[in-house]
Order: sequence, then C-alpha cells, then structure tokens
Amino acid sequence: MKLRWRRNTKPKPPAGELVPPEGVPLKLEVAGLGVRLAAQITDIFLTLIAAICLLILVASLGFSAPETLTAIGSLMFFIIRVPYYVMAELAWNGQTLGKRLMKIKVISHDGKSLSTHALVLRNLMKEAEIFLPATLLLSLDAASPLASGLALGWIAAGLMVPLCNRHRQRLGDLMAGTHVIHQPVPVLLKDLAAQPVRPRAKQDGFVFLAHQLDHYGAFELQTLETLLHAQETGPGKSPRRNQGATIEAVVEKIRQKTGYANRVPAARRLEFLRAFYNAQRAHLEQRQLFGERRKDKHYATDDSQL
Amino acid sequence: MSEADLIRSARFRKEREAGWQRLEALVARAERDGLQRMEFAEARDLAALYRQATTSLAIAREISLDKGLLNYLEALTARAYLSVYAPQERLGGLFRKFFTQGAPQAMRRSWLFIAIGFLCMGLGVLAGYQLFLENSAWYHVFMPPELAGGRGPSSTTEELRRVIYDEDPSASGLGAFATTLFSHNTRIAIFVFGLGVFLCAPAILLTFYNGLMLGAFYALHAERGLGADLGGWLSIHGVTEISAICIACGGGLQLGAAVLFPGSRTRSRALYHAGRDAAKLALVAAVMLIAAALLEGFGRQLIQDITARYALGWGIGLCWLAWFVLGGRVRQ
Repeated sequence: MKLRWRRNTKPKPPAGELVPPEGVPLKLEVAGLGVRLAAQITDIFLTLIAAICLLILVASLGFSAPETLTAIGSLMFFIIRVPYYVMAELAWNGQTLGKRLMKIKVISHDGKSLSTHALVLRNLMKEAEIFLPATLLLSLDAASPLASGLALGWIAAGLMVPLCNRHRQRLGDLMAGTHVIHQPVPVLLKDLAAQPVRPRAKQDGFVFLAHQLDHYGAFELQTLETLLHAQETGPGKSPRRNQGATIEAVVEKIRQKTGYANRVPAARRLEFLRAFYNAQRAHLEQRQLFGERRKDKHYATDDSQL
Repeated sequence: MSEADLIRSARFRKEREAGWQRLEALVARAERDGLQRMEFAEARDLAALYRQATTSLAIAREISLDKGLLNYLEALTARAYLSVYAPQERLGGLFRKFFTQGAPQAMRRSWLFIAIGFLCMGLGVLAGYQLFLENSAWYHVFMPPELAGGRGPSSTTEELRRVIYDEDPSASGLGAFATTLFSHNTRIAIFVFGLGVFLCAPAILLTFYNGLMLGAFYALHAERGLGADLGGWLSIHGVTEISAICIACGGGLQLGAAVLFPGSRTRSRALYHAGRDAAKLALVAAVMLIAAALLEGFGRQLIQDITARYALGWGIGLCWLAWFVLGGRVRQ
C-alpha cells in the first residue's frame, strides 16, 4: 500500500457557497477569526458577569466557607457557560448574544438545518479546545514552565486549525459539520432601468446603435450602475465640483470609445449616462439570452485566445 | 409609460418585487419572534415566498445584469433560507430523547471502545498493584503528593483507617461538592476525552496511569489488611466516577480511531461521523461525574457503615448498567 496524501481531484465549490435543499447555490460569506473572537469575548464577559452575580448570592447566603469560594466560582462559571452556548444557539438559530451583536451566525455545512447534536458537539469541543487549556494556563504558576508551555501549545494548535481550512472551522466545527458566516443584509436599490429615458421627440433623446454597444461588458455596466446609484443616494458626500469632473470624464470616455459624435451639454450628462446604461444593459442582457456572456470589455480577446 | 417600454429584466423585477418585499418583512418577523409565534398563514407564506425567491434568484442570475437586484436577491434568499431551515426542536423534548434513547443507544453502539477504556484502566490497576507489592517505593512515583493527602507507605495503619472512616465533617456540603467535581478525576476525564483525538495514545496512557495510581493506592491499604474498608470508601462514588473516566476514554478513543482509520471517508468526514456517538458518551460521562461528586460530597461522610457503602456504590453502578443495557430499546 502506498502511503501518500489523498488528493481530491474534484474541483471544490467556492468557500462562501452553500447549496440548500432547493438546489440554488447561495452566497454566504465565511466569517473571519477576528469577528468570531470579538463575539466570543462578548459571550465570555456576559457569562462571567452572570457567574459572579450568582457567586455573590451564594456567598451572601453563607452556604460556603470562604476558602472554597474559588472552586464554587469556577463551578458556577462552568455551569452557566456550557448550557448558555448550546441553548442560545438552539433558541436563536445559531446565534449567541455575542454573535448577534457581531451579526454572525452558525450554519450547517450541508445546507440542512442545524441539528441539536451539531450544536452540542461544537460547544463541548469549545471547552476542550479553549477553556480547558486557558484555565490550565491561568491556574499554573511560573514554577512549572513545562506544563504552561504545553497548555500554550495546546491553545496555539487549536487556533491553528481554523487557519488551515477554507471555511475557518474550529476542530469542533469540523466534527459538527458547521461553519460561521456573516449574516447577509438585503438592501433593495432602485432599479435604474425602471424609468426608461424615452425621448419626448425623436431627435431630442440619446440613441445608441448596436455597434456602439459592443465595446463594454458586464463589469463596466455594473461599475456605471454603482456610480449612478451613488449620484442618487449621496450627492452631498463629496465636493460637488469634484463629482462633476468625474461625471464629465466618464461621459467623455464613453463618447470616445463608442464613437458617439454629438456633444453632450453639461446639464444633460447624467441623462446621457442613464440612457447609455439602459441601452447597454438591454443589449448585454439580450446577448446573454443568446448564450454569450460578456464578462468585461476584454471578452473579444478572451474568445480569440480560446 | 407602458410595461412594454421596459427592458426584460426590469419587467421581471417589477412583477416580483412586491413578493420579495413581503418575504423580507416575514423574514424580519421570523427572526425577531421565532417561527413558533407566527400565524399559520404567515408561516405558510414565508415558505412559499422563499421558494419563489430562490427561483427568482436562479432566473435573475441568468437574465439580469442589475447588480443591485442580484445582491439583494442573494442576501434575501440567504436570510430567508436561514429562517426557514431553523432548528424546530423543543428543549424539553431534547432532554427526554437524550436520556431515553440517544444516550443508551450510543453506549451500546460503541461498546467496544468503552470496553477498551475499561481494559486500560483494569490493566493499570493490576500493574500498579503488582508493582507496589514488589517495591513500595513505586507509590511515590505514581502518586502525586497533593492527591495522596499525606497517606503513604510511611503512615501507620491507624492513620489510614482514620481517613477512611472519620473525616472532618466540616468539609462537606456545597464547597466539598465543588472542589471534588473540579478535583483530579474530572480533569482526567476531560483530558482523556479531549486528547483522544490526537491518535488515541494520550487517552490510553492517561487512563492507564490513572489505573496505576488506583492500583498502588489499593495495594497500600491491602497490605495493611484494610482492602475491604478502602473498597467501601472508594466504591461509594468510585464505581460511578471511574466508570465515567472509562466511558470518556471510550469516547476519546472513538475520535482517535476515526482519525487513524478513516476507511473510505476523508478524515474530517470520519471525525464528523464518530463525533455523533462520542459527544453522547462525553455527556453521559459528565452526568455520571456530577452524580459522583454529589455522592462524594454528601454521601461519603454521612454513611460510615462498610456494607451500606458497598451496597450504595454498587447499587448505583447497577442502575447505570441497567440504563445503558435496557434503555432506548425499540419493541418490534
């Protein structure tokens, strides 16, 4: 038997993609380690505060001797912490309070709903991965450098695991088949093509011929879209004059490239851009329906190379 | 302005926009209040509109170049997907299912690993016992001084007897419960489970070492004719606690075995499958450890009679066994 790494020859789907049971792949951006750490710290703070409150209650009722207070404290922290993560993620669909604050969420890797088993497993492994070596590190003193080093190495190894895979999964995530994503925010922008810039009189409007629309692809179109949306929503953000200069440069560039002969008066530049956007989009979408996707302006050279 | 003036993708959007906005409102409501509190019609619409939105997304990817629309649909369907496929289980039902079905079935499925865990412990006890009889200096090698509590080959028989039967009663109650739970054995159990992933070896070694300590400790007492008394003192909580360590070891071994011998699966896939039972074993071990800490914190000082100690310890052990063997069997 040959010993070597099994190589997966199948092309993998991109990391931020997930296929739900409906079969339409969804883009869900994988959350980074920084934001997860922030959520984790928030959660630790919350549970720690709850544990301290409980400890003060127990101490004030006089149930225990002061010398056992540390042990009771760590017991309280443990007893609050372990169910908190599991229950919160169950009740809020993969979010603890910290995760809600950071707008991240645990999802199941296979596109099905989160199972209780997965949530219990990933949070139990959190104990073994983070809290156990951390308590060890805190409880050990400088007298035992070997044990402290071991605990430190353990934490480092645990933190290395998420860096080594594409979905930033911890060891617990790997076992439970989950990963953490940014919660997407749906914002519906106005459709620029919803009001067609129709000429009132034929000679008044901007008219583009088919050969003039063959210069650009989807990327340029969508850049223009972003620019036009920015004009609509936030004209006050940048100095007025600067913006006017940008618009003028864009208009001139488009005229030059497409060979649009007529001059565009300063007052109608935006109108020109909208008309061009509409015409270009209609043209490109029609090409796309016929099976020709033009990714950007270099689409022609791409074709010839193939 | 007539509809026909618009380009195709703009018409597509205009026809469906109302549905998407209703879906967005429903999703926001589902996330805030939970699906359980929504009305029937709303929940039904949520599911139906979500499916329509996925279809819209698939079509829009083909026919539209409107980036604003595509981004919106991506985010909306993802958000709706997350709330449609939210976990729907109730907490009470989960506990019941775990105790009546999940845990005992998982125990029976992974009996081999648990048996290996018990075997490691048993061999350790045997080795520790023999080594101590050969040379009592081994005791200091195995036993950390803070755990021995001053007991060793140099202490007199009378001292040993006093620890077994007459403990300081002030050290009982909640404080003792907490300290014992976080004492040696719980730490060992967590270590044994967590380290199992690293190719089994640490789990086996730790369990064996734990057995060595136990064996040496027992031999120390057996040599003085206190074997039966120590048995009673240990068995009141030890039956539960040592079984918990062995079960945790079994869980750890299961994970380690998945990494070592993944079979035809990939390693992470094998780990995922092994995790299903291993997590249940860890939970069972945790439950047993809490029970053991209760027994140790309260029971050991209250019950001084040797037969009562044996009866309680092994009786509870039998209860665990009955749960594992008989629980969760489906009648045919």
